[in-house]
Amino acid sequence: MLGEQRELLCEADSIMDEFNTGEETAFVVDEVSSIIKESVEGAIGGNAYQHNRVNQWTTNVVEQCLSQLTKLGKPFKYIVTCIIMQKNGAGLQTASSCFWDNTTDGSCTVRWENKSMYCIVSVFGLAI
Amino acid sequence: MEDPDTAEHTYIIRPNYQHKFKVGLVKECIREILKEQLGGTSYNPQQVSSLCRSVADCIKGKLKELGFDRYKMVVQVVIGEQRGEGVKMAARCFWDADTDSYAQDVFMNDSLFCVAAAFGCFYY
Repeated sequence: MLGEQRELLCEADSIMDEFNTGEETAFVVDEVSSIIKESVEGAIGGNAYQHNRVNQWTTNVVEQCLSQLTKLGKPFKYIVTCIIMQKNGAGLQTASSCFWDNTTDGSCTVRWENKSMYCIVSVFGLAI
Repeated sequence: MEDPDTAEHTYIIRPNYQHKFKVGLVKECIREILKEQLGGTSYNPQQVSSLCRSVADCIKGKLKELGFDRYKMVVQVVIGEQRGEGVKMAARCFWDADTDSYAQDVFMNDSLFCVAAAFGCFYY
């Protein structure tokens, strides 16, 4: 239920630039996924949910993610979102819908949890 | 991007004003869709998945009609149950602040809350 993710992609065939086809300039989901996990672990780790620290945590997660993504040096614009929710039995659902170039652009969502909170991070990479 | 001709780079680096991503317009459009689709509904775990998707698709569909030429669009929708839990959503973007922007709106009733954010990135 949590962290549901979907992309709806544009239909048209697209013409990729030659310099944009290699692995080193592509959106590699595994790579992004490990960046997200490290960022969340680094920012939240074993902390229990504390209302007055959530602001700081979400900021740290997105900033850490973004700085690691930019270090990859790929020709992408990035959108990073982070949701932290306290666990108390309430449900949460997220969905995304995108209009972009299916062949170059990509997204990655990671759902992370500890005893007292859920954290859902999504990264969208849009080729320039 | 729907038209194969425009999938190629144009090397135009700025959108015309009339094709620029307009935050106010998008926000209003999100607000209307949230009100229309979520007004009077309550949180139902079985239906929330499809509801969430349909809201996201609906917003994306509407944005495509607004004529933001050469924009890539990302719409994210979060629907949660209101049980007094703490929730925080944050976003950071790495993009061209001159051309790219986002709009968001929140809908709440006694049973659920919904945050919808739409991001527009200009494709050169």
